[in-house]
Amino acid sequence: MTPKFRLLYLSIIFLIPVFLFSQIKSNNDVIIKKIQKKAAEYKSEINFTKSQSFYKKKDWDSTLIYSMKQLSSNTNKEIADYCHFFRGIAFKEKDLYKESKKELLLISNQFDFFTSVQIHLGTISFQLSEFRTAIRYYEKALQSPLIKNQYYSFAKTQEGIGSSYIFLKEYNKAEDCLMKNLQINEKAKNKAGLYNAYNILANLYYVQGKNAKAIHYFEKAYLLSKDINENYIKNLAAFNMAVFEENRSNFKQALGYRKEAEQWNDSLNNQNKIWAVADFEKKFAVAQKQKQIKVLEVENELKNNQRNWLFFSAMSLLALLTAGIYLYAQKVKNAKIILLQKNKLDELNTTKDQLFSIVSHDLRSSVNALKTSNTKLSATLESKNYEELNQLIIQNSGIANGAYSLLDNLLHWAMLQTKQLYFHKESVHLYSIVQQMEYNYKPLLLDKSIEFENLVSKNSFIFVDLDSLKIILRNLLDNAIKFSNENGKISFTTATTKNSFWDLVIKDTGIGMTQNTINELLNDSELLSKKNNSEIIGTGLGFQLCKQMIQKNNGILAIESEINKGTTITLSFPKTAQNG
Amino acid sequence: MDNINVLIIEDTPEQSEALNKVLLANHYNVVGIATNYTDALSLFYQKKVDVIIIDVFLNGNPDGITFAETINIVPNASKPFVFLTNSQDRKIFERAKLTKPFSFLMKPFNELEILYALEMAVEKFYEQTNVFLSEDQNTVVSHDSLFIKKKNALKKVALNDILYIEVEERYCNIITEKEKFVILISLTKISTLLDPNQFIRTHRNKIVNSNKIEEIILADNLIILKGNYKINLSDTYKDFIKKMNILS
Repeated sequence: MTPKFRLLYLSIIFLIPVFLFSQIKSNNDVIIKKIQKKAAEYKSEINFTKSQSFYKKKDWDSTLIYSMKQLSSNTNKEIADYCHFFRGIAFKEKDLYKESKKELLLISNQFDFFTSVQIHLGTISFQLSEFRTAIRYYEKALQSPLIKNQYYSFAKTQEGIGSSYIFLKEYNKAEDCLMKNLQINEKAKNKAGLYNAYNILANLYYVQGKNAKAIHYFEKAYLLSKDINENYIKNLAAFNMAVFEENRSNFKQALGYRKEAEQWNDSLNNQNKIWAVADFEKKFAVAQKQKQIKVLEVENELKNNQRNWLFFSAMSLLALLTAGIYLYAQKVKNAKIILLQKNKLDELNTTKDQLFSIVSHDLRSSVNALKTSNTKLSATLESKNYEELNQLIIQNSGIANGAYSLLDNLLHWAMLQTKQLYFHKESVHLYSIVQQMEYNYKPLLLDKSIEFENLVSKNSFIFVDLDSLKIILRNLLDNAIKFSNENGKISFTTATTKNSFWDLVIKDTGIGMTQNTINELLNDSELLSKKNNSEIIGTGLGFQLCKQMIQKNNGILAIESEINKGTTITLSFPKTAQNG
Repeated sequence: MDNINVLIIEDTPEQSEALNKVLLANHYNVVGIATNYTDALSLFYQKKVDVIIIDVFLNGNPDGITFAETINIVPNASKPFVFLTNSQDRKIFERAKLTKPFSFLMKPFNELEILYALEMAVEKFYEQTNVFLSEDQNTVVSHDSLFIKKKNALKKVALNDILYIEVEERYCNIITEKEKFVILISLTKISTLLDPNQFIRTHRNKIVNSNKIEEIILADNLIILKGNYKINLSDTYKDFIKKMNILS
C-alpha cells in the first residue's frame, strides 16, 4: 500500500495550489475595490498608489519595491498595513513563504482584511507543512463574524482545516470539516470547489482504506471533471481513477483511465509546447531584430566614421592649400623686395664707381700739378726770380682752390646721395649772398681781368637753404669764370617774372656751348659725362650737384647759350615758403 | 651810438684771431675770446655782451651747443648767437637746431659772410627779420636798445638815452642828449615796437621819452625835456597826461 499512499499525497499536494488560487481569486474583487478606495483616499502617497496599481496588475517585483519605499517613509498605520499585505501576497506568489509569513504577521488586527490575512497565513503554514499552526490560523479566521456570509472563504477555510487534519491523520475531524466544505460548495454550485471537495473526501476515505466511499467520491470527482474545462483537473481525475482501479486490480479499467489521463496530460503538454514554441519564436524574432539593429548600428558608425574622415581630410587639405598660397605670396613679395634692393644697390654701386673715377682722375691730377708746381717753386726760390715766384704762388693757390672746390662738391654730392645733408630753408637775402660769393672770387676775377657786376635787387629775399644756395652760386660762378675769356664780363641780375618767384640771371660773355651740350647737361641720366677737352672742362659733377640742389630748393633752371657769345643761366627760386 | 659787443667762443687761435681782426675792422667790440665752456660762461656773465659767435666743437666735443643750451634755459639772459661749424653732420645739426633762434655759418667763411651772419642772428633773435638788408629799414628794436646798421657795421643806442624821436616820412630823427642821427624805420613800426608807457606820442610826428620830461606847459602846449628841448604838444595827444602821476 505504500506506493498508493505516495500517489495520494502527490495528488493532494498538487491540488492544494489550485484551491489556494481560487480562494484568492474570489476574494480579490472585494479586496481590489477596497484598495482602489484607499488609493483615492491617499492620493498624495505616490509610492502607495504605485504599489497598489502594480498589485492589481500582479507585477509582484514592482509591488515589492514601491511598498518598501512607501514603508521606509511611512507614518500612517493603515497604509503600513496595506503595504505589509501587498508584500505578503507578493512574496507568497513568488513562493517565498517564510518572508510572506513575516510580512503578514506585521499586519495589525484592525486591518480591513484581517480574516483574509489569517486564511493566507493558514495556507502558508500548510505549505510549510506546519499543519497545527495552519489549523490555528484557519480557526481564527472562522471566528470572524463575517466569514459565514462569504461562502467561498468559509468553504476554503473548512477545506484547509480538513486537509491539515488528513496530514495529521485525525480523520474524524477531517471528515467533519470536509463534509461542511462539500455542503457549502453543493449549495453554491461551484464546480471547481465541488470537484476539490469530492477529491479531498475521496482521498480521505482512500487513506483510511474505506474504498467503497472513496470510489464513490472519486467517480463523482471524475464525472464532474468532464464538465470542467481544465485539462489538468481532467488529467488528475482520470489519473486518480486509474490508480484506484489498479489498487482494485481492475487493470483493464485502470488502463483506460491511464490512457485518458495520458491524453489530457499530452494536451496539457502540447499547450505548454505551443506556448514554449511561441515563446521561442518570439525570442528568436527579438534576437533577429536585435541583430538587425546591431548591423544598422555598425553601418551607421561606419558611415559616421567615413563622413568624419572625409571632413577632416577636406579641412586639412584646405589648410594646406592656404598655407601654400600664403607661403607663395610671401616668396613673391620677398623676391620683389630683393629685386628692388638689387636695383638700388646697382645704382649705388654705379655712383660709387663714378666717385672713384673722379677721385682717381681729377683729384689726382690736381694734386700732382700742385706737386710739380711746388718743385718748380723751390727751384725758382733758389734762382731768386721773385717775379716768377709770385706767378707760381698764384698758380698754386689757383690749383689748390680748384682741388678744394672739387673736394667740397664731392662731399656734398655724396651727402646728398646718402641723404645725410642737413637741409634748412629760411629767408635769404640774395644780394648779400652774391656779394659774399664775389668776395671769394675776387682774386680770380682780377687775374683774368673779368668785370663783375652784382645788379641783384636789394629787396630780393628767397626762401632756400643757405648752404646749398652758396654751393649752387659758387659752382655757376666758377664755371662762368672758367669759360670766360680775359676781359670778359659776368653779371648777376634779378627779375620777377612770376609773382611768387625771384629769377636770378647769371650772364657771361664766355665761349658758350652748343644746344647739344645744354641738353646733355640737363639730362638727368648723364650724371658725369666725359669731355674731350679735359684741360678746361671739368667732370660735370659740379653742374649735376647744382641741378640736384636747385631741385631740392624747389627752384627752376634754364640755360641759354650762343657759341663764342656767352651763356645765360636763369635760376628761379620761391620768395616764401611754399605749401607742401 | 655805441659799438656792438661780441663774445667769441673758439678753441682754435688762428680762427679766433682772424675773427677778431675782421670784427675790429668793422667797428665791432670784441669783449672776450673763450676757448672752453667754463670760460665762455664766466665771460658771458661778467661782460656786457650783445652777440656771441660760438664754435660748435670745442676741443673735439660739441660744447658750443651745450653753451647755447645753457644760456637758452636762463630766461632773459640769452643773447643772439651764431654757430660756426666745419661739418654738415646731420646729428649735430638736429641738436643745434633745438637752440633757438638758430643760425649757423659754415667754415671756411669770408668777411662778408660773418657780418651777414651776425646781422641775421640779431634779426632772428628779436624776431624782426629782413630788416638790415632791405632798403626801407635799417633798425632792429630790442627791449633796451636800437640796433642800427650804419654802412657795413652794426651800431646800437640805448633806449634810455633817447630824448625824443621825430619822424620825417620814412626816416626817424633820433635825438639823444649827446647826438642826433637819422634811422630808417616807419613811424607805425617803431611805435608798435617801443614800450608805450615810456615812449609817448605827443604830436603827429613826435614820440617823447616820458622819463626825460621836465615840464609840461599846457597853456602854451609845450613840453620841456632834459637839455631844454621844447616840444609841441598837440591837442589830439593830450590824453596821456591823465595817466601820469601829477604832483599838485
